[in-house]
Amino acid sequence: MSSMSDLQRSANHTVVRLENVTQRFRVIQERPDSVREIFAKFFRHEVSFHDFDAIRNLSLEVPSGQMLGVIGRNGSGKSTLLKIIAGVYRPTAGRVHVEGRLAPLIELGAGFHHELTGRENILLNGLLMGYSKAEMRAREQSIIEFADIGDFIDAPIKQYSSGMQTRLAFAVATEVDPHILVVDEVLAVGDTGFQQKCFARIDKFREAGKTILFVTHNMPQVAEHCDRAVLLDKGSIIADGEPAEVVSFYKSLTLPEMAAVD
Amino acid sequence: MLELIRSTYRYRELIWALALKELKVRYKRSALGFLWALLNPALMMLVLTVVFSTIMRFAIPHYAIFLLSVLLPWTFFSQSLGYAVDCIVGNGELIKKVSVPKLVFPVAAVLSNIINLLLSFIPMALLVLAMGHPFYSTWLYLPVPVLALIIFTLGMTCFFATANVFYRDVAHILQVVLSAWFYFTPIIYSLDFVPAHLRWIFRLNPIIYVVNGFRLAIYYGMLPHWQSIAASFACGFIALIIGCAIFLKYQDDFVFYV
Repeated sequence: MSSMSDLQRSANHTVVRLENVTQRFRVIQERPDSVREIFAKFFRHEVSFHDFDAIRNLSLEVPSGQMLGVIGRNGSGKSTLLKIIAGVYRPTAGRVHVEGRLAPLIELGAGFHHELTGRENILLNGLLMGYSKAEMRAREQSIIEFADIGDFIDAPIKQYSSGMQTRLAFAVATEVDPHILVVDEVLAVGDTGFQQKCFARIDKFREAGKTILFVTHNMPQVAEHCDRAVLLDKGSIIADGEPAEVVSFYKSLTLPEMAAVD
Repeated sequence: MLELIRSTYRYRELIWALALKELKVRYKRSALGFLWALLNPALMMLVLTVVFSTIMRFAIPHYAIFLLSVLLPWTFFSQSLGYAVDCIVGNGELIKKVSVPKLVFPVAAVLSNIINLLLSFIPMALLVLAMGHPFYSTWLYLPVPVLALIIFTLGMTCFFATANVFYRDVAHILQVVLSAWFYFTPIIYSLDFVPAHLRWIFRLNPIIYVVNGFRLAIYYGMLPHWQSIAASFACGFIALIIGCAIFLKYQDDFVFYV
């Protein structure tokens, strides 16, 4: 409870801070197929990889209580950015500072094991996010209720539909009461009813002064729910500000391309 | 080392859940379920006992017990490595999505096999009684070699799991290494069978000291010499320190290679 009042006291302090972050990937162009080829390449000193910066010298500050929309075309570095913030990647250069507990909803059912039941997965997923067994047991019932998957809760996850998996994943990630919620496109899977339920919960999160990082290709959602939007291109932020303005700027960039296709 | 102890303690609930998951998945969809953890070593013992008391007769009395006293710890070692070499690569999807201390995976993989090892002592004890072999009080000493063996296994596991991330060939090489290592270790034979002038080569085998403790305590009813005990822990801690250091050095790169 003390963490809650701390959050409210310093309403607008920074909870996510990235300073000059670069994430470099080594892309192996082609794998040698045979030992002979490896030797051939070795002796001819051929380089079979190149380095590629998915995030390039990026700085970003997110104050607590903000819902930040991250937009950009495929391959612009949105998911990489979220994974750096979630601590999955340790960046090649730069500093990352994240304050408070973070719940990642990065891909559908990350950490779900298909042979285990929904109930077993709730516990395992919670433990993976760093919560205790007791905390998860206490929240189990409300997670099951929110996910609304009925008797399936004691069936192995592999028998779930993808929508059911998303619902369970979202329920676990949000019911554990994180300070920061990271959502990467996963909500596109659920049906309209569940999406509304999710956004109702996300709005409640915002009211409680929590921070949400939201990646999507659904521009109306950004304009409707976010307080701020950033537009990524080739690993850098090229626009940052009011969601409506950033979205229309993004559209102005992509429109010529779409016209060319027509 | 300290890092290992700290994160093991902090994530003990997660490690326990992962180890149980491992066992649950292993025995899922089998009618007898978890009972296989007991039945498997029991049936293996039955086969070996029949083979070595009727078909292949050695001059060693109660050969089945002589063999199994070392075969059980060896099976723990080789199965732990066999499962755990894949513990990082196999959890790759998880590592790519959730930030989690990577050390929990080898620790959990070894833990699930510890449970198997401990359970396998139950049929072992039954066999000792059934064959009329004396049930020595030195059984009480067994926790000591079990501990040394766990330390050694964990160290080797950390090393092979790391190596397998960068070179998937490691998992295949490991199978060959383990089967050669099996014959190089006095499991089906005794070190006494080896010509005296060659024994020093066998003493270079780091696992020989710890398995020796098992055989002495269960089969001979004796305790190993303190030097042998010290050697078994020295080998264990050297393996753990090296394995752990390599694992921690490369753990941040795992996510790019799994």
